Amino acid sequence: RSDRSAQTKPPSAMSSDSVSTSAELSPDDDVTMTSCWSHLLTAKEVMYICPFRGPLRGTVNVTNYRLFFRCMDQEPVFVLDLPLGVVSRVEKIGGASSRGDVSYGLVCKDMRNLRFAHKQSEDALKKSIFEVLMKYAFPVSNGLPIFAFEYGQVFPENGWKVYDAIAEYKRQGIPNESWRVTKANDHYELCDTYPSSLAVPVNIPDEDIRRVAAFRAKGRIPVLSWIHPESQATVTRCSQPMVGVNGKRSKEDEKYLQAIMDANAQSHKLFIFDARPSVNAAANKMKGGGYESEDAYQNAELVFLDIHNIHVMRESLRKLKEVVYPNIEEPHWLSNLESTHWLEHIKLIMAGALRIADKVESGKTSVVVHCSDGWDRTAQLTSLSMLMLDGFYRTTRGFQVLLEKEWLSFGHRFQLRIGHGDKNHTDADRSPVFVQFIDCVWQMTRQFPAAFEFNENFLVTMLDHLYSGLFGTFLCNSEQQRVKEELPKRSMSLWSFINSQLEDFSNPLYVNYSNHVLFPVVSLRHLELWVGYYVRWNPRMRPQEPVHQRYKELLARRAELQRRVEELQREVTNRSASSSSERAGSPTRSITPVQTFV
Amino acid sequence: QTGLRWVCPQSPLFLCITSGEIVVNEVNFVRKCIGAEKSHDDLWGKLICTNFKVSFVTHEALAQPRFQVSNRLLGEHDIPLACVDQVVTVNDAKGKKKVLGSNQKLKFNPSELILYCKDFRIVRFSFDEAGPEGAKKVCLAIAHYSRPADPQLLFGFELIGTRYLGSSEDGLNGARPAGGSQTPLFACSSDWDREIKRTGAAEWRVCSVNQGYGVSPSLPEFFVVPASLADQDLRQYAEAFSGQRLPVWCWNHPNGSALTRMAAITDPLQQKRLDQRICNAIIKSHPQRGDVHKADLDKNLPSIQQVNNSLVRLRHICVIDPFEETEEKWLSSVENSQWLDYVRTFLKHSCDVVYILEGLNASVILQEEEGRDLSCVVSSLVQIMVDPHFRSLSGFQSLVQKEWVMAGHRFLDRCNHLKKSDKEESPLFLLFLDCVWQLMNQYPSAFEFTETYLALLSDSMWVPVFSTFLFNGPKHHDFLEDKKITLGEGEELCLPPVWDWSQQLSITDQALFNNPIYVGKAAPYAHNGAVKSFRRTKVSWSSTLRGTPPALARNGLQGSQGTLPRRNSLAAQLKSDLFPVRDVPESPSERFARDWFSGPADPQGLLLPQLLPSHLALWRLYFLRWVPEAVIPRGGPVTAVHAVSQLAHEIETLQSQLRRYKGPTPGSTPRASPAGGPPGTPHAEPSRMFFKAGSLYEPSPPPEFLSSSFPFTPVGNLCRPNLRGTPISKLLNGAKTWLSTETLAGETA
Repeated sequence: RSDRSAQTKPPSAMSSDSVSTSAELSPDDDVTMTSCWSHLLTAKEVMYICPFRGPLRGTVNVTNYRLFFRCMDQEPVFVLDLPLGVVSRVEKIGGASSRGDVSYGLVCKDMRNLRFAHKQSEDALKKSIFEVLMKYAFPVSNGLPIFAFEYGQVFPENGWKVYDAIAEYKRQGIPNESWRVTKANDHYELCDTYPSSLAVPVNIPDEDIRRVAAFRAKGRIPVLSWIHPESQATVTRCSQPMVGVNGKRSKEDEKYLQAIMDANAQSHKLFIFDARPSVNAAANKMKGGGYESEDAYQNAELVFLDIHNIHVMRESLRKLKEVVYPNIEEPHWLSNLESTHWLEHIKLIMAGALRIADKVESGKTSVVVHCSDGWDRTAQLTSLSMLMLDGFYRTTRGFQVLLEKEWLSFGHRFQLRIGHGDKNHTDADRSPVFVQFIDCVWQMTRQFPAAFEFNENFLVTMLDHLYSGLFGTFLCNSEQQRVKEELPKRSMSLWSFINSQLEDFSNPLYVNYSNHVLFPVVSLRHLELWVGYYVRWNPRMRPQEPVHQRYKELLARRAELQRRVEELQREVTNRSASSSSERAGSPTRSITPVQTFV
Repeated sequence: QTGLRWVCPQSPLFLCITSGEIVVNEVNFVRKCIGAEKSHDDLWGKLICTNFKVSFVTHEALAQPRFQVSNRLLGEHDIPLACVDQVVTVNDAKGKKKVLGSNQKLKFNPSELILYCKDFRIVRFSFDEAGPEGAKKVCLAIAHYSRPADPQLLFGFELIGTRYLGSSEDGLNGARPAGGSQTPLFACSSDWDREIKRTGAAEWRVCSVNQGYGVSPSLPEFFVVPASLADQDLRQYAEAFSGQRLPVWCWNHPNGSALTRMAAITDPLQQKRLDQRICNAIIKSHPQRGDVHKADLDKNLPSIQQVNNSLVRLRHICVIDPFEETEEKWLSSVENSQWLDYVRTFLKHSCDVVYILEGLNASVILQEEEGRDLSCVVSSLVQIMVDPHFRSLSGFQSLVQKEWVMAGHRFLDRCNHLKKSDKEESPLFLLFLDCVWQLMNQYPSAFEFTETYLALLSDSMWVPVFSTFLFNGPKHHDFLEDKKITLGEGEELCLPPVWDWSQQLSITDQALFNNPIYVGKAAPYAHNGAVKSFRRTKVSWSSTLRGTPPALARNGLQGSQGTLPRRNSLAAQLKSDLFPVRDVPESPSERFARDWFSGPADPQGLLLPQLLPSHLALWRLYFLRWVPEAVIPRGGPVTAVHAVSQLAHEIETLQSQLRRYKGPTPGSTPRASPAGGPPGTPHAEPSRMFFKAGSLYEPSPPPEFLSSSFPFTPVGNLCRPNLRGTPISKLLNGAKTWLSTETLAGETA
């Protein structure tokens, strides 16, 4: 167990510039052993072929958490720091050349590729680096524990306590006269990819709910995600109905949707947003799935949102990586970017979320959102629309609640989509759905720079630890699995780290306009590539001068002035107390002491 | 009051008339279209054509919210004639359409008039209830007066006429404009003297050979030359230069290197000799006898026509083509316009010049055929990058005055005010403002002014009453002679410069110029421990590298053999496959830039733009401000400005409180404004912030009138004809924005 105090430095996933300040790897002392970091290997005379600087010769250290390369020839010292969880693939390149060199590449999940090389004469050594990486970068495939289970850092905050489903329902006013929290899934018997507590219409008994589950893919029945505090219009989510080629119907399902509609007295309509393109939705009938027919569901209107599936998104991000890494080609940058379709997909997702938010806010109409299984596109849509509708989710803790709720508890399959510790890099289940969602959030923060309590660093840090394997937060595929794995007991929550140093992740421009619904403009004229994330490895890329820094200086300035004004005020009061005749002329405005965020 | 404005009541019910302005024609019961289709938002009123503007006076004072910054010279719906680019008349019933020129006939009665404006607006009027004859007459008048055949017909000159030919109005004769007087105009030798002193250009002198424009009509009467060149020599050399434009000094780098500009030498026999002499003189004026480098701008930069064509394309995709149609191919359309490409090219070239001045400690001659177009852009960008003085408001204005107006940029031709030759038209000044915006976007605390200021400055080009944008050079007298105006003793031509902002904007609205996070010279760094404890909260993600390894920096990739055993061909072998290594060798100026980028930027020091194409953005406020579909309600960068302004205003308030306690003892209180602007007068100065703090210390959310277009509004300013499908209000989430009755005036009072 680490004996370091709770207040020590952040565990930095891959902020390569700052990482060497961390205790376990100080620049003067490459690898300091602690019980949780076990040192596996040191290799000297390794070449890192930097795509920007050419080959650099240095020393590689590998622990069970990270790979650390240091080149001493350079001044200042060149450092490369890579959590092994980021590695998607390790491959030998080109075999042994006649010159006697062997090289291998690391394809990373975070938009970079790294390449190392050795001389042949060090064959034994080189082989071991390769093997060590093959083993420890993919612990799951090799029957080893993911590092999060060995990470012993203690934080003052406990992130596992951030989200409590019942408390969040209560915040929304649930249960109320129309909605209740059911215990039907207490032991995940109704749906093993759903959380244990679900909010359902009050007048649907649990027996009926079981029948609805039988009609919905993977038993993912429509449940409440969010309710409008005034109009009672709701956002509900589910999976596709098992309509099949024969157009099967379910009385209970129809009644259930009717109940959702009836729970909102403001509207006699229900909108069903099917995230998929209509062609895909129709094709799903062949596999027993499909979509709600408007004949069967009276008063319901079905809208397809044309968002493509996980495979299309994976391919799009792969193309994006080609365009931004290692270098950006100058003459055709914008058309190259266009050809990746990444921003177009972002646009479609945001447009879908906007339509949902607009229906709920302006139309006061309840909506049902689903795709096929209801754990990828559906999660993107519900959480984004909730971010637009409810200012609570735009606070740092609120956003954590949103992720815990809409993504983690409702079974976005992080393990499969990310492939934690799994060597099978071609797995078709992998997809950057969550990255895409965070990108959409970033787009919102760009359009509303004062509406979010957190900053860009928060979003980037989250994505870094999505892969790093340092925290338990994004492990497993469902709540049930997490409970079984006892994650809260055996690993740290990312929120423990973040909430212990909120200062680093807060947006000083934040003004609380929680009561306002944000309607972003979902046009390519306003959507932009998130260079601070996708292009950050490019050494020519420097983060823009942060307004935030300057803002904090102003805050300090204000605090200083306040102090001086108060001092003078006291002086004046004292003086006027002794000679009361002066009172009339002195300024009397009282200054409320203010808490500074500095 | 000095000012051009005579009668301009706040109510829209009256025509606002400026002295010298004459009503040419008018028609009543005209509908100004607000949305794409006929809607109840449309406004009814009278359409008037004067010799200065197209005016629309509404019948009733609607409780129409005012989201647009109001111009004192113009009513809410007015368009200066100089801003009208194209006049299109339509007859719906007959399906006819005609683009009207000057002195043309119109064979049908127009049912609609569409004005395409130079500032990207598209304004549409419908005549379905108006008298057909009257409507036709007004259309013809607008077409005629917006294409003045003769410079005298430009309104600004009309104004001079009325003033000097015994206008009945009082108050203006001989009175020099007041507000702009803080900005040096560089029309007199003392302004140049001060600039020489400020930059420490000891070996340079102001020469007056051109007094009375005897040598060159397009150079200013006073300019700066190497001290070693005598007036006699200069007179002799002048003939050899295109337009007799002798080499002139622009600015000195603190290290003594000089930035100069010069026209081509037309006499081939003299070329070599003259070149030599000029270079020698410049070298002599360098304290370390630094070398001279020549930058051939014509060769390295796009031509003025290319720049113009580029803007035409950009304008098409931004405002003319239907929104949804351009959406799909938006990125490649922007690329095809080449606008950002040109922005980048100019910035890049300016960086190269900065490298020579700063990195090589050598002087630079910007060479261009005439030396009054491309060199204006480059020379001003270089100075903005290196000299923080030009990033202050008054410094920036003096820069435009020095490098554009006095250097003889042909504003009259480039703006095409006379619609004489489209070939001469080129938006170089807008391109320059865009380049400045890119710098501003990358270094938000380095500039005293805001992007709103840049947009308003650009719009002022189309209000033809300012001496700044009306002439082809510093010599204005020709026009006066044409007008048969005789100036009395000691009288001067007195069209105000645009820098006299009170002509256009109220003091309150001028606060829109001030950047709340500007780090001025008197940057308010607190001296107690509070500030020191700040950490850079933003982790620098930039690279896997810590700084620039000098060994590699010298030769880029080619020099990297040093770190590799010679026999090792690995690098070459690996270059091609998975990891495409950059194979274009880095230029010295790129290396210089990279070294600079590896350290933190000082907003009061040298600033180099990040030139990765992913880091240059479209200037949305300028190009998309009229596009209703692109408006982010209660969003956009201005909401950040709004938040910071409130804080800055609180600081101002505290400072004035302190002053009240302490009494007027300068020195004891920090004089600089919170935003670090120039020290102002301590007494009762109006707030520099447009957005004020509400209740102390609780930042309020952005008010409803704020949007990404603020302080402009698309309402009634962009009506694309024949937009099929949904009415504009349905495309807009922000539709609510302009149904509100909250007025800006009420909010900021």
